[in-house]
Amino acid sequence: MSTAISVQNLKKSFNNTEVFRDFSVGVEQGKITTIFGPNGSGKSTLLNILSGIVAKDGGSFQIENFDHFQFSYIFQNYRESLLPWRTNFENVALPLEIQNKSKQGIQQRVEELQKLFEFKFNWEGYPYELSGGQQQILAFIRALVTNPKVLFIDEPFSALDYENNLRLREHLQKYFLAFKPTILLVTHNIEEAVHLAQKIVVFSQRPTTVLEVIDNPLSYPRTVQSLKVEQFHQVKDKVLSVFQKAANL
Amino acid sequence: MRKYTFIGPILLILIWAVAAKLQLVDKFFLPDPFTTIGKLVQLLGSGAIIGDLVSTLERVILAFIIALVIGLPLGLLLGRTEKIYRSVEFIIDFFRSTPATALFPLFLLVFGITDKSKIAVAAFASMLIIIFNTAYGVMHAKKSRVLAAQIMGATKAQIFRWILFWESLPQTFIGLRSAISLSLVIIVVTEMFIGTTSGLGRKIIVSQITYEIPTMYATILLAGIVGYLLNLLFLAAEKRFLHWSGK
Repeated sequence: MSTAISVQNLKKSFNNTEVFRDFSVGVEQGKITTIFGPNGSGKSTLLNILSGIVAKDGGSFQIENFDHFQFSYIFQNYRESLLPWRTNFENVALPLEIQNKSKQGIQQRVEELQKLFEFKFNWEGYPYELSGGQQQILAFIRALVTNPKVLFIDEPFSALDYENNLRLREHLQKYFLAFKPTILLVTHNIEEAVHLAQKIVVFSQRPTTVLEVIDNPLSYPRTVQSLKVEQFHQVKDKVLSVFQKAANL
Repeated sequence: MRKYTFIGPILLILIWAVAAKLQLVDKFFLPDPFTTIGKLVQLLGSGAIIGDLVSTLERVILAFIIALVIGLPLGLLLGRTEKIYRSVEFIIDFFRSTPATALFPLFLLVFGITDKSKIAVAAFASMLIIIFNTAYGVMHAKKSRVLAAQIMGATKAQIFRWILFWESLPQTFIGLRSAISLSLVIIVVTEMFIGTTSGLGRKIIVSQITYEIPTMYATILLAGIVGYLLNLLFLAAEKRFLHWSGK
């Protein structure tokens, strides 16, 4: 398996709070990797450093063949990253407009995703008319419209009720199976972390280290049924045991 | 809540009528509201005041357009490069705080006793307000949207055109609304003191000098109505174009 993202000896502090001292991790290509760890362990900070929003203090990292046009990042505060003056369609079209794609190409790609996500949108409406869950789906479609090779997602489902949460997990898997991007997903929900990932990276408390990388060998697509099988519980228990030690519970 | 809108004005007219009826104020200095409104209707009906109204409106609109055409691009430009804005901030704030009326003599020197000097003073003061508000709007754009576009690989020009410009619009509109009101104020005042043959300001000052008090009140009333309607027009435009504001 080839490595898509590698981090070596990363250093980062915020006002004398040391988040990363000598942090290293690797993320495999074409897999879903979730980061799970205690509060303040720098999960989001890692995504922000890797995407260039936040500057590192030291160390190095590589993302294979990094290209802004083939990279997407779904923020935790997705609501504030949608543009309220653009219609829903224009919001989704933004990344492709930035890439100077033709109107036809944009239309085609949006329809393709709409089929995959099985969502009916009023494309002429505006994001503020949508519910929180629908806004989240809009942010998802906007992130996926460029067909990214690398996808970062920060707490994707935190604003959703359980039912929509499960539904969006299903769609994300569908997308993953169709296009096989490298997905790095941050969550504080252990069920999400185990349900979606092939690799679960468990973070320690600050200064953060990788305590363990746990495999989830269950095959995709993982349905709600997959949450009930013995193997799921085994992996989840393993993650929980590592987390328990990390969080001093 | 709409039904409450008229309570205040009706009350005011009532107090005015009672004060006039009881002769609390000399009738000569304060005619009753019905005389005043009747006078306004008569002035409008006979067309006697239409020329003045049109002159004032022309000057206000011209001043506003000049302020807009210069102020908006300048505001966007300054807001985009905070360093430049900071270096001219003092000048903008200083002239914004200087009473525009104090600048009359200067503009008279440059433009002479013409319409040009009236329009120039109003345009200058309005322009500063537009620059300030537009630049402020650009500088205080939400960072999350700019970051999102940056990650998508947007160029600086794209971010400006698709994000910052739009983010600045609500604040820009506040500036435009203040600017049109200020233009009206300055134009009416200049009409009073810088020689002219027509305009609401001139009508007010002439009817005061000749003791045509009902005409003076009627003209003041008309100037107020014009200001209010201009404000209303901008509010309606805001509602239409900035339906997304604050959401």
